[in-house]
Amino acid sequence: MSFFDLKGIVRPLIGLSQFGKNPHTKRLDVLGKDTADRYRGFHYNDLEACIGCGNCSTICMNGAIDMVELAAEFNISQAKGNSGLRPRVDYGRCCWCALCVDVCPTGSLNLTKEYNYVSPDPNTFLWTPGVDNPYGKDQLSFVSTKETSLMTFDRVPMRELDGTERVKSFAEVVLGYNEEEARAEASRCISCGLCTEVCPDHMHIPEYINAIARGNDQDALRIIYDNNPLPEMCGKVCTRRCEDVCAIAVRGEAVAIRWLKRYATEQAQTADLIQEIVNPEIKEANGYKVGIIGAGPSGLTAAYYLALRGFDVTVFEAKQFAGGMTMYGIPKYRLPMDSLNKQVSYLQKIGVKIKFNTRVGKEISFDEIYKNHDAVFIGIGFEKPWKLGIPGEDLENAIPAVEYLRMINDGESYDVGKKVVVIGGGNVAIDGARVAARHDADVTILYRRRVEDMPADWEEIEGAEDEHVHIHPQAIPIRIIADKSGKKVKAIEYLEAEMIAEEGGRPRPVPIEGSETIMEVDTVIGAIGQEADYSFLTEEYADKIEVNRGRIVTNAQQQTSDAKVFAGGDAVNKTADAISAIADGFRAVKSIEAFLMKK
Amino acid sequence: METSLIKEELLAQQLQNAFENIVTEAVRKDTVFAYASKEQVSSILLYAKEKLGYKSLAHMSCIDWLESDEFELVYIIWSPETKLNLFVKTRIDRQNPEMENMDMIWRQLNTYQREIREMFGVEFPGFVGEKEFILEDWEDAPPMRRDFDTLEYVNDTFFEREGREDKQDVRERIAKRSGEEIPDFAKKYSRE
Repeated sequence: MSFFDLKGIVRPLIGLSQFGKNPHTKRLDVLGKDTADRYRGFHYNDLEACIGCGNCSTICMNGAIDMVELAAEFNISQAKGNSGLRPRVDYGRCCWCALCVDVCPTGSLNLTKEYNYVSPDPNTFLWTPGVDNPYGKDQLSFVSTKETSLMTFDRVPMRELDGTERVKSFAEVVLGYNEEEARAEASRCISCGLCTEVCPDHMHIPEYINAIARGNDQDALRIIYDNNPLPEMCGKVCTRRCEDVCAIAVRGEAVAIRWLKRYATEQAQTADLIQEIVNPEIKEANGYKVGIIGAGPSGLTAAYYLALRGFDVTVFEAKQFAGGMTMYGIPKYRLPMDSLNKQVSYLQKIGVKIKFNTRVGKEISFDEIYKNHDAVFIGIGFEKPWKLGIPGEDLENAIPAVEYLRMINDGESYDVGKKVVVIGGGNVAIDGARVAARHDADVTILYRRRVEDMPADWEEIEGAEDEHVHIHPQAIPIRIIADKSGKKVKAIEYLEAEMIAEEGGRPRPVPIEGSETIMEVDTVIGAIGQEADYSFLTEEYADKIEVNRGRIVTNAQQQTSDAKVFAGGDAVNKTADAISAIADGFRAVKSIEAFLMKK
Repeated sequence: METSLIKEELLAQQLQNAFENIVTEAVRKDTVFAYASKEQVSSILLYAKEKLGYKSLAHMSCIDWLESDEFELVYIIWSPETKLNLFVKTRIDRQNPEMENMDMIWRQLNTYQREIREMFGVEFPGFVGEKEFILEDWEDAPPMRRDFDTLEYVNDTFFEREGREDKQDVRERIAKRSGEEIPDFAKKYSRE
């Protein structure tokens, strides 16, 4: 190496020969690193799937989530079982713990990968997930799955008698929750209250379930008796529409609301105990007299709450026991007689007078009741069965289900023979079938439509199947054939049907030609519906009290076209279940009070 | 997917052989749990580090078991050779929560212990470190304890941002929509 290194000076200059030429290397796009799969960024709420239960808002330990009403353009469902509210998050408070996602019963609320938002105005940190970031649905990261959710989606199973054991007696099939099971089941409830809206009687469901969860069964009973005087009956046989809209039921099994009510009511084993626990305030007598026709659920409800409000109440009941259809229509393996009598005797203790074996129109006239009372409540129910409308139904051994159930519940005997056919698909049909099965009969149900179309409770249908009742769907009976004597049923002839899709309605069964089948039977039980018997209304009153299509017409306050007469129950509403009847009775109390006290 | 847990079972067995009265479990792929008493934890960690090659401290955390009145401390360590995570778990008394200081085994434990001391109130006698970690001038109960009511603290401490006045209560709205009258004595059971 010399002092003057020419190479060292020239070499770097050689590089200049490349000046201006295209480079040999290629610039790659800058790739941002993808956010982690379970990153917890801003929320995204599926506005359609969300039911507005508000569980996210309740769990938030930072008080960051509000439930708000959105603008009309978002078309948020206001249907029953949907509060119509949606969560809004204050991102000045949110700490991205994602508990709101973990407790979302529907799984509509999730977190996304987006986490950058810069604004000089902190008041823009209020975001309504799903509204302010509709693109969020493609960026989901921390999502709620049934496996990771903190909700308990499975119901505490109810213990039942085994199918083969059940048919031997009329012992109650459902055994009821014990304390441990009830507390566990009650703890699944998130207290959103969406169920209360579908309950015809608007019972305070979250409150009493919460009382059970906290171990205070007596408070639960008091809350239940606030607007339902026959809760043990409802706890056993209610149609429980509340459970259909349960928030947990969106992804899991609904909270067993009915069984929890049953649990709470069963903690008071006698009428005295009920009175001791509920200990209602009874107002001083106000001098008004109210007559009530029919001691069914609607009549008894009206009677109880009127009595508490200081009215002098008398109930006129045609039969030996109170309860109406719940006494004479519901088989004893679902609702034992003692249970109902216990509830009724509590009502009597409170001051409700019940005149048994007093049929209005026979033992006492409607006119007399009308004239001796300041107001009258009619809760007569649907007693009279509909006719099948096919030849041979007047034969011996062809009996309507309500009549059959009444006889059995009354302790009379009725021999159904070895082979029984029940016609219909409602709860009455299933009841008839299951009762016949308990009398050692081989029972078949003939129903016009498919099994999934049956109006009966699915638990009842399953129960019947467990008891080896055969269900023959899509079968239309056409005639009942008599034996040689011409008096007794020998067989039934029916047509198979196929389901034809009907525009705008449910599929219609259409008989298949040439599919006539004859089945030998000993008894035919018809259960296709009932109607009311208005023969007690004399002409004078029949004119005053409007009846339309078999139902008494009332306004929203249960008042009929005669201002002094109120009505409720099956004879008024179309839902035809006990809880609607109770709701009618409860509403009637308020309007009777308003009607009389205003005068 | 069913995978055999041979490596995991082996580690569980090794620990079982080395220590009396500990329970080990190969819970899933790459993960082994070891349940030990408070006194055994430092020995297990040292043994795992020096003899079995679990050189890396991945995490230390604390769980508040309010119902059984205990804190559970979990040390997660990892071996670059076997690529297994070893969880060493121990339960300590919640009324007098104290745990051996182990920042001489892994220096990083110092930071974890500082955090757990501040958030759960677990003391590590002999531990040298700053008193405060994240909180400043905190005089309330340790905030990660389950009996600390975060919502109450938040409501007492912060005001609500403007524009939140239109919030509604789901239960009230439903009751209003259906005309349900919730009696006063039942309201204490309503959702807050």
